[in-house]
Formats: sequence, C-alpha cells, structure tokens
Amino acid sequence: MEVVDIRPILAPVLSFACAGLVFFMGKNTFWRAFWSLSAAATKLIVVFSMLPGTLRGTVYVFKLLDFTPGIGLGFRADALGMFFAIVSSTLWLITTVYAIGYMKGEHAQVRFFGFFALCVSATVGIAFAENLLTLFLFYETLTICTYPLVIHEETPEAMKAGRKYLTYTLLGGAFVLLGSVMTYSMAGTLTLSKPGILSLSSGVTALSWLFAALVIGFGVKAAIMPLHGWLPSAMVAPTPVSALLHAVAVVKAGAFGLLRVFYNVFGVAVLREMPIVDWLAYLAVFTILAGSFIAIFQDNFKRRLAYSTISQLSYIVLGATLLTPFGATAAIAHIANQAFAKITMFFVAGSVQRTTGKTQIHELAGIGYRMPWTMAAFTVAALSFVGMPLFAGFVSKWYLSLGAFEAGKPWFAVVMVASSLLNAAYWLPVVYLAYFKAPPGTVLRIEEAHPLLLWPTLICAAYVIMLGLTTQVPGLPFSLAQAAVRFVFGM
Amino acid sequence: MPASALLVSVIIVPLLGAVLTPVVGGRTGKASGPWAFGVMLVTSAIALALIVHVANVGPFSAYLGGWEPPYGIELRFDEFSASTAVICLLGTLAILFSFRYAEKELPTERIRYYYTLLLLNLTGMIGFVVTGDLFNLFVFMEILSLSGYALVAVSGEHTAEMAAFKYLIMGAVSSLMVLFAIGLLYALTGSLNMADISVRLAGAAKAPAMLAVAALTVGFMVKAALFPLHIWLPDAHAIAPSPVSAVLSGLVVKTGLLGMIRVYQIYYGAKVLDLSSLNMVLVWLGAISIVMGAFFAIFQEDIKMMLAYSTISNIGYIIMGLGLASQYGVIGATVHIFNHALIKATLFLGAGAIIYRTGYRNLTDLRGIGRSMPLTTAAISIGAISIVGMPPTAGFLCKWYIALGAVEAGHPIFGFALVFGALFIFVYYIRMVNTFYFLEPVHPEILEVKEAPLSMLVPVLILAALCLVMGVLGRIPISFIEPAVIRMLAPLGG
Repeated sequence: MEVVDIRPILAPVLSFACAGLVFFMGKNTFWRAFWSLSAAATKLIVVFSMLPGTLRGTVYVFKLLDFTPGIGLGFRADALGMFFAIVSSTLWLITTVYAIGYMKGEHAQVRFFGFFALCVSATVGIAFAENLLTLFLFYETLTICTYPLVIHEETPEAMKAGRKYLTYTLLGGAFVLLGSVMTYSMAGTLTLSKPGILSLSSGVTALSWLFAALVIGFGVKAAIMPLHGWLPSAMVAPTPVSALLHAVAVVKAGAFGLLRVFYNVFGVAVLREMPIVDWLAYLAVFTILAGSFIAIFQDNFKRRLAYSTISQLSYIVLGATLLTPFGATAAIAHIANQAFAKITMFFVAGSVQRTTGKTQIHELAGIGYRMPWTMAAFTVAALSFVGMPLFAGFVSKWYLSLGAFEAGKPWFAVVMVASSLLNAAYWLPVVYLAYFKAPPGTVLRIEEAHPLLLWPTLICAAYVIMLGLTTQVPGLPFSLAQAAVRFVFGM
Repeated sequence: MPASALLVSVIIVPLLGAVLTPVVGGRTGKASGPWAFGVMLVTSAIALALIVHVANVGPFSAYLGGWEPPYGIELRFDEFSASTAVICLLGTLAILFSFRYAEKELPTERIRYYYTLLLLNLTGMIGFVVTGDLFNLFVFMEILSLSGYALVAVSGEHTAEMAAFKYLIMGAVSSLMVLFAIGLLYALTGSLNMADISVRLAGAAKAPAMLAVAALTVGFMVKAALFPLHIWLPDAHAIAPSPVSAVLSGLVVKTGLLGMIRVYQIYYGAKVLDLSSLNMVLVWLGAISIVMGAFFAIFQEDIKMMLAYSTISNIGYIIMGLGLASQYGVIGATVHIFNHALIKATLFLGAGAIIYRTGYRNLTDLRGIGRSMPLTTAAISIGAISIVGMPPTAGFLCKWYIALGAVEAGHPIFGFALVFGALFIFVYYIRMVNTFYFLEPVHPEILEVKEAPLSMLVPVLILAALCLVMGVLGRIPISFIEPAVIRMLAPLGG
C-alpha cells in the first residue's frame, strides 16, 4: 500500500538544514556539536517514525518535482530503503558522538562537521531514492561531500589520496549516469518501485552491457576488485571519516546501489537469463579471498581494516548474484552486520591511536591490559568476522551458504568456510597479541580511551552481539530484510 | 502595444540607447553606465512580454515598413528567439558588473564608448535571433562581431590588441563565408527570407545548395569556436575585460550555434539535401571539441584562460546534440545554449570580481581566496558544479538529454564520450575549487582581501542562483522549446 507522506523527503532535508547551520554557527564549539548531533538525531527520529508503518507493509512516497519531463526527484521509503536508512542513521548518530570526541583540537572543524552532516542527508537520500536519477543525484552528492573529509589533513599525501578517491568515484558516477541513460531508453522509466523494469525483449547482449555499466558504476564504491584502489589510500583521513567511508555511507551506498540494480532495475527473472551475472559472482569470490590474503600481510591497523572491508563487501555482491531468497536475505542483512562490526573495529583503531599513539599491529602487544574495554569490543567484532555463532557475522554466512545450496552452487559455501579461516588468520593474532603478549618490563596500568570514544565503541559492539543473538534487535528488524526479499521474489 | 510593434522595439530600443550613450554619458562618462543599465532593463521587459506572447500563441512576425516578405524584411519571433531573454538578462547584469570595473580599469574618455559598444553588441545579438531575413541576419552578425572585436581591445593593452586582431581576422573570414553562402542562396532562390528560401530551395540544384550549406556551417562554426576553428577564442575571451568575457563566452559564441539552427530550419524544411553525413562530421567534431577543450584547460594556470577553454568543450556538447538530429539531442543542445550562457557568465563574472579585488589571475596566486571572498567563491563553485553537469544544476539537463539523444540516434558511443568528457572537465574545476579552499595561500595578503563590491556581487549571486533554479525547474525551458524542435525535425521523420 502506498501512502503519500512527507517524511521520506523530510529526513534528508532536515539534516541538510542542520548541516547548513553547522556551517553558519560552527565557530562556536557548543553549537557545532549541537547542530551536528541534531542533524543525525532528527534524521534518526524521522526514519524511525516510519518504521511501524513500513513493518505493516505501508510504503511512504513523496514526489517532489520533475526536473525534466517524466523524470524527477522522488522519494520512497520501502523495506529495502528503510533497512539501509535505519542502519546508516543509527550508526551516524553514534559516529557523530565519536567524531566530536576524536576531533578535539583539530583544524578546520567547521568544514569537517559541516560536510560530515551533509553526508548524513546524502546517504538517507540514497536510501529513499524513488528512481535511478534521484539515486544518482545523491550518489554524486555523497562523493563530493566526502572529498573535503578525505583531504582533511591537507598534507600532500592526503591531497593525493583525495585525487585518487575522486578519480575512482567520479568515474563510477559517470558509469551510473550512462547506465541510467541506457535504462531510460530501454525501459522508458527509471522508477525503483517495481521488482524489475527491464524485460528480456531488449536483448541479452544490450542488457549485459547495461548491467556491466551499472555494476561498474556502483561497484567502484562497493570496492569490487579491481575497482577497489581508492579505498586503502583513503585511509589517510581521520578515523571517524574512515569509519564513515568504510562502514556506513560510501561503500554501503555502492552496495545498496547494486542491490537496487539487481532487484529493482533488472529483477530476478531477467537476471537468471543473463550469464554475465555468474561472472560477477566469480569476481566477488575472487575479491573475498584476495582481499583477505592481502589483509594478512598488512601491519598498519587501518590498512588491514581496509582490505578486510573490501573482502567483506563482496559478501553482499555474492549474496545478490545467487538470485535466491536466502542469498538476498544474506546480502541485505550483511549491510547491517558488516557495518556494525566494521565500525566497532574502526572506533577501536581510532581510540588506540588517540590514547596511545599506536597505529601498527605489531605495536599492540599487551594493549588488552591497558585498554580492556576497547579491546573487548575489538574481540567481539573479530569473532563476528570469523563467523562465530552468536555474533552478527554468523547470520550472514549462514544465509549465504543456505542461498548457495538453494541456487545449486554449493561451492560458494566452501568459499564461506575459506573466508572464515582467512578472517581468523588475520584477526585472531591481533587478539592474541593484545591479551597474551605483554611486553616485558613495562608496568601495565589501565588507561582507557576518553568516554566519548569508548561508549560509541561499546554500543556498536553490543549491536554486533544483539544482531547475532536474535537477529531481532529492537529498532533494526530483520523482518525488514525479509519483507524486502518477499517483495523482490514476489512471495 | 501590438506584438509586432513590440518585436520591432526590442531592436530599436537598445540600438537608440547605444547611439545616445556617448551623448548622455558626457565627457566623464559617469552617466553612461546607469543609462545603459536602464536601456537594458526596458529591453528586458519587452523581451519578457514577447516570450509570454510566443508561449501563448506560437511564433509570430512583424514586417518592417509594412512590406510583406519576400519583398520586405521580416522579423520573426519563434521559440529559438526566446534566447533574447538570456541576452537581455546577461547584458543587464554585465553592465551592472561593469560599473566598478570601468571606473577602475578604463581611461575616463573611453568609458562612454565602452557602454556604447556593449549595447551595440547586445543589439546585434537580439537582432540576430529575431530576424527572419537572411541578409538582415548577416548585418546583425556584423554589428555584433565588429563591436565584439572592439570590446576585446577596449583596455588598450598590447596583448588585448593582438587578441582582438586575431579575433578580427578569423571573424572576418567567417563573415565572408556566410556572405558568400547568402549570395549563393539568393542566386538559387531569388529570395532572402528564410522561410521563403526553405520553400523555394526544394527544387534547386544540389551542388550549389551543398556549397552554400558547407560555407554557412564553416562560417558559423568559426563564430561558435568549434574545434579546430577555435584558435581565436582562448586569447580573446581571456584577455577581454571580465564582463565582456561573460558576454562573449556566454552569448556571442552562441550566435554561431543559433545561426546553425537557422540553417537547419531552412535545409531540413527544403529536403533538398540529406544532411546526415554533415551531421556525423559535426558530432565527431563536437566529441573532439569536448575532449580537446578539457585537455587544454587542464594545463592552464590563468583562471580566465581555463574558463575560455571550457567554453570550447561546452560548444562541443551543443554541436554534438545538434548533429545527432534526434529529438532529445536537439532539445538538450538548445536548452544548453541558454544554460551554458548562465553558467559561464557566473564563472567569468565571479573570476572578474576576484581579479578586481586581488589583481591576481593565476591559480597559484589565488590560493586561499575562499576564506576572504566566501560569497564570490561559493557562486563560482556552484557554477563549477553546474558546468560539470551534476544534478540538479542547470548543466545536468544538457548532459542527460544529449546522452539520451545519442542512444536514441543509435550512437551510444557518443553518450559515452560525452559523459566521460565531462569527467575531464571535472578535473580542472576540482583544481580550481582546491585552490580556493584547501591550499595554503602563497600570498598572505590574499586573506586580507575584501568581498567583492555589491554591484559585482549581486550579478554573480543572481546568476549562481539561476544555475540552480534552471536545473531544478528544467522542465520549463524544455517544454517551452520542445514544440519548436519537433517542428524543426518533423521533415526528417516524415
């Protein structure tokens, strides 16, 4: 049931207004924090106010205007969009708190928090986009608004990383635009409100080109190899930004865009007839394994996290390419599962760096004694990535394996097992190092991170456990993912 | 007042205004600026009335002296003539912007002639777009070209004179081509009225008709600065005073394109030739223009030089859209004629305000200017985002429509070229924005600079706002121009 409601547009617009206020009143520390938090909080409230309705099956739509005849800005809060919006807005509030703690004493804070808040509105705009053009608009906005965050340090290294980031993401954006043009000329519409708008009558070859264009476009941000190059370099940004890029906004915007392409542009029925989808699956498998292999050899904490992100994101891609209900469930649920676990790790990396100045893994010996709570949170996240039952990561792996069997491709389940082992190989040594290898001769005393850094970390770790225990976390219903899957597969 | 009288007055008012400017301005030229501004305000009001009329009743004509065509001169106002509104808007704002500029940069005795030339230039363009007579078109083209050459040289500096001379040579050759073609067409058809020529050309000999269309195309392409006929543009546009650059880059080059549209109207209607191979050449040249313009722009240090090269890229977009000859493509191209004028004027006037305040024009010298002139640089940034074609700004529409047109015409590869050419353009605009905001100043005094004076800031901000408004409300120009494009392309489809 579709209901016209202003809230799908209110969410981005309100946080946009707050972002504007950050720019105008940001010189004052209090007001900067106030409006940054307001941006995140108002968005959260608006999104959550729609949740009961969405769970009942209501879809909120709001058509703003046509900026060209027939295509315009439209907003639509369906189950998939709500899922992404809830994940991103929950995490955003937490990250903003963390960022306020982390950025104390940094330069250019007005710019930092202003663009940080702008990203809030862009991400929720992506989640609620009613058509590909609106999606593209916010996708590009996100690119532009994250650029000042990536080059925040303004060092030559940061500027270089910023250039690389822009090169990759803008090229991706161009492919999305090209894909949108082709979609419009084939389907005559760009709406994302149907389970597929293209039909096989356009010819498999043409459809495959279109599929390639859109997958490249969104795959850049989803860091599918070989389009992942920007992600490790963008690590020069301050940690909250890395958290934002890697866990919440940018990469997930890419993954979410891919899901939209799969389920709302092409539709499962059409994709089943296209052999190119299998090739994407192989690419995803390669990315999962290669990303993990590279991660093993990284000594820099944040770089290891970056390659782990690359590997984890392809779970979403792999789940989607299976084209089965369980696979789709895994793909959608993994958006949340990976986000909470990965952001926990980033928070830990940032806290350790701010508290002790350590950025390399080998320096972390005995850190578990100094920062017990922080490292406990890290352990939770690490176990989730390894895929231990009771942790969030297990749920994804379970459904992904089920999906692989459902699709008659059991070897993908083997990939899951291999990936678990690899994850164990690069995360568990860190846990071992932290707890069991105290450097000799030093007096160990507890020296925890600042509360503004510690609490967000712990809350995210708690989410990881909750997502694993019940899958029914208050305010983050698994049923949303299931509702989206039912819509996509027409069940 | 009847519509035909209005149509005549839209040319007469600025023409008389121009002639009277030296008298009103007096020896010091003090009054000439406000006088020109007032003249353009009146002209704008007339243009607005005309557009409302054409939107209501469709194209209409006025016959000078009551002589009906093919004997007399016909003024014809159709949807394409609605570019009068952009000419008036930009002209008005450029004159407002010139107040402080002229006071500071020009010798006192030249101020009144500066405004005279500017008004003459605008008159020429207005006449060019509203005339229905081919020879009349040529006359107006000469008015706008000659005043254009003089405006480039107005500062009296040596480099400016050189640039103006280069512009003059190229311009004169192109005018000659156009005149030659007009002579051919007159010989073929015995008429100078465009609608009439179109009818009579139907049975004409193919070879001279082909020669005429080739000469017209080359002539107008020089005016439009399509690669490889662009060589006069960067110097002329970069060295001219900033308000003049805005008019030249935003409007004057567009007359070449509007001229091309008139040629298409004649030839598509006559069906005497199959223009598809000419169109293919134009599409290719458009694609090359996009890439080459962007490529050269990347290596420019001078901010106005960079903007000048960016014009070449954008002309490439428009030519590509026109050459595709599909409905989406031509709509995109014509709308971009309007939108690019707004965007480029924002950029040139913004750059002009910065140069006025700092005296620097190299990007390296301008580092950190975003901190001391936040409003001007914000406007330039909007212009930059717009010219790169980010939705929902004005520049996006053209990209979307021309790319759709490429797919529609069965050449998706040009859509590809267009979208990726735009990325190239992004590269140097990012460089500009980085310079403004993210790099440490080379000259510490740049942080002490004051924001642009109000008479400069207001035009820049109005234009920047329009860049956004025209993007968000893009359906208005598109649905306005659509009937004209359908009419123009109808003979092709049938």
